[in-house]
Amino acid sequence: MAESKTVTVNFGPVHPAAHGVLRLILDLDGEVVERADPHIGLLHRGTEKLIETKTYLQAIPYFDRLDYVAPMNQEHAFALAIEKLMNVDVPKRGQYIRVLFSEIGRLLSHLLNVTTTAMDVGAMTPITWGFDEREKLLDFYEEVSGSRFHANYFRAGGVHQDLPNGLLEKINNFCISFPKVVDDMETLLTENRIFKQRNVDIGKISKEEAVDNGFSGFVLRASGVPWDLRRAQPYDSYEDFDFKVPIGKNGDCYDRYLCQMDEMRESIKIMSQCINNMPSGEVINRDTKIAPPKRAEMKESMEAIIHHFKFFTEGFHVPEGEIYTAVEAPKGEFGVYLISDNTSRPYRCKIRAPGFAHLQAFNLLSKGHLLADVPAILGSLAIVFGEVDR
Amino acid sequence: MEERCFRVAIATTPGIDSQELEDLKQRYSDKGFIVTNVNNLINWARTGSLHWMTFGLACCAVEMMHVGTPRYDVERMGAAPRASPRHADVMIIAGTLTNKMAPALRKAYDQMAEPRYVISMGSCANGGGYYHYSYSVVRGSDRIVPIDIYVPGCPPTAEALMYGILQLQKKIRREGSIVR
Amino acid sequence: MEFYSFKRKFVEKAVSLDKIMSNTIELVVETINKKINPIETRIVNHQIEIIIEADQLIPSFQFLKDNSKCQFRQLTDIAGVDYPDRENRFEVVYHLLSFKNNLRARVKVFIDENSTIESLTSVFPCANWFEREAFDMYGIQFNDHPDLRRILTDYGFEGYPLRKDFPLSGNVEVRYNEIEKKIVYEPVKLQQDYRHFDIQSPWEGTTYKQEEEKDNNG
Repeated sequence: MAESKTVTVNFGPVHPAAHGVLRLILDLDGEVVERADPHIGLLHRGTEKLIETKTYLQAIPYFDRLDYVAPMNQEHAFALAIEKLMNVDVPKRGQYIRVLFSEIGRLLSHLLNVTTTAMDVGAMTPITWGFDEREKLLDFYEEVSGSRFHANYFRAGGVHQDLPNGLLEKINNFCISFPKVVDDMETLLTENRIFKQRNVDIGKISKEEAVDNGFSGFVLRASGVPWDLRRAQPYDSYEDFDFKVPIGKNGDCYDRYLCQMDEMRESIKIMSQCINNMPSGEVINRDTKIAPPKRAEMKESMEAIIHHFKFFTEGFHVPEGEIYTAVEAPKGEFGVYLISDNTSRPYRCKIRAPGFAHLQAFNLLSKGHLLADVPAILGSLAIVFGEVDR
Repeated sequence: MEERCFRVAIATTPGIDSQELEDLKQRYSDKGFIVTNVNNLINWARTGSLHWMTFGLACCAVEMMHVGTPRYDVERMGAAPRASPRHADVMIIAGTLTNKMAPALRKAYDQMAEPRYVISMGSCANGGGYYHYSYSVVRGSDRIVPIDIYVPGCPPTAEALMYGILQLQKKIRREGSIVR
Repeated sequence: MEFYSFKRKFVEKAVSLDKIMSNTIELVVETINKKINPIETRIVNHQIEIIIEADQLIPSFQFLKDNSKCQFRQLTDIAGVDYPDRENRFEVVYHLLSFKNNLRARVKVFIDENSTIESLTSVFPCANWFEREAFDMYGIQFNDHPDLRRILTDYGFEGYPLRKDFPLSGNVEVRYNEIEKKIVYEPVKLQQDYRHFDIQSPWEGTTYKQEEEKDNNG
């Protein structure tokens, strides 16, 4: 009886295909993976503990730095949680701006993920095209918030400030020119023999297993489960928009790639509808004490200046309660479990990251596959360590 | 014999290229060879091909990727990403360094061959940054490795990182010797 | 690749969502109250909140997952919360999601520092890492967990960071020692302390003043 000895290999934290800091301990029998043990925590920065010591307004930038490829989607979840606890409405224009920037975030994330996965399996060109499109999108982030990446734009009650003039036209021009780039990338990858050989039937997972393992987002939809939070539990007027939700059949890496490409096209549709139907009005709810007064008002009225001072030093008080809010982040279901006592600081803020659950199932996904399939599977799961490790 | 030899020429555009380059061209076309000192030659070689090791940890890693992509394209300066520390000249620490990751960083730094330089990118790598007071973050990667250039920002824009790489080139020209 | 165009189906659902959801939500709460004996059940913000005993954990979750009216097929999150003033210091909060009923549920269990709790990995495989994280952050021990070890904090870390009595900056910090040629751990020495502003209300005075007054009065 032949005894197969396994070799333990460290797919270390410093690795070009590890998508960040992941330490994978692989037990290999030749080239076949017997067991994969991911060690995470190499980017654990203590976000939740730090959030407990800051006010709600000061805590918003921590959410930007979680999934750092699509920052505004994470702020969205936190802002929604605070609004639900305080029972505050967001004006229609604020909701549409939020939807617009969430979809831009979805494009940013899918562009990065698809092109870097393609680079891991050998395609060097899509990353150059994809990142140039990302630069255009980051220009929109910069115009509206001042920073390319960590925008700190969404606030409880709406968004921080209104869109500058001419931005909607620029985004519209982008929406017209972007589908061609997606088509170009598809001609390089979708029917490519090598890409298919490296992705079809790799990392297959069935519907039941995907649900049991806590999958969500496009990874779950690629396995055939028709579940999208934008449809099932719509937030921020997503019910006004007409878009399709791509569902896969086989649940392998190739289907996840196809889901991402189709979701990019659907996002462009949502963005165009948003731009065409953008209502006018306020962008943040100024009635309650959840937003600071306008700058001009603050310079003239005494009450406004006191309100401004209290808002930025003490912060607004959130009544006692707890809530779990989830949004359809590009990577899956991003949830925030917020517990507030009646002060201006959160008592406990637990962050539920989609990548955490996806990486947990990595052993299941990669069992029996070859060593060369490990980067392909890792790439298809869209793991970003900022949110996994927090 | 001259017919079978290669002819190398230096082409310059008057008015655009610097006076030094014009002088260089003059001397070369006069004599057929240029004389310089070893330090200049070594510095030119080192600054002209700064291969950086991608030590991307967090958000700054994405800006580091953006500096290599078509809009900011740092490859025209000669800098290119290399995955292995053994092949790299400079290590760009991009992102938050945590206590768990510190031994791996030191190991990767030790594996680099001399002359090696380190650029600390972003406020987390500079001094702990946004997570300075956290229990699991190293308050500045200069506690672990010696740093040459600090690039501030959160994250520094790709332009800022490119400026940092150019500053490193200036530093090498200023302080470079045959040893380091 | 199949496309489902969900618009008509789901827009109708979204419009009358309150009606549909309140029917199903009440039915589910009734079923839960009958079959498991929770300590308390309430509906908060369209989410069901159930408090159960620690020893009823596995049967309750098995029921919530399998019962045809509930069908909470997915476990989305496990969180720990620390209330140091209470006798049962920790609260373990489980979040469940039902695709069929489009409902979320929150299940809470109270335990204290020294007792253990059953692991849910036999019912929901994805509870594995979430429980490891709760153990790492709070020190909550789970019985029958396949692999209970630290997941997020450093390899030799001592202490449980998210407890309220653990200091923000921790107890040890790291630097490279040139003489020993390796990474050493030293006690924390901050150049500038964390500036914690006691800002709850300037009219009422700072917290320590309030406590002084309370001590003086009664």
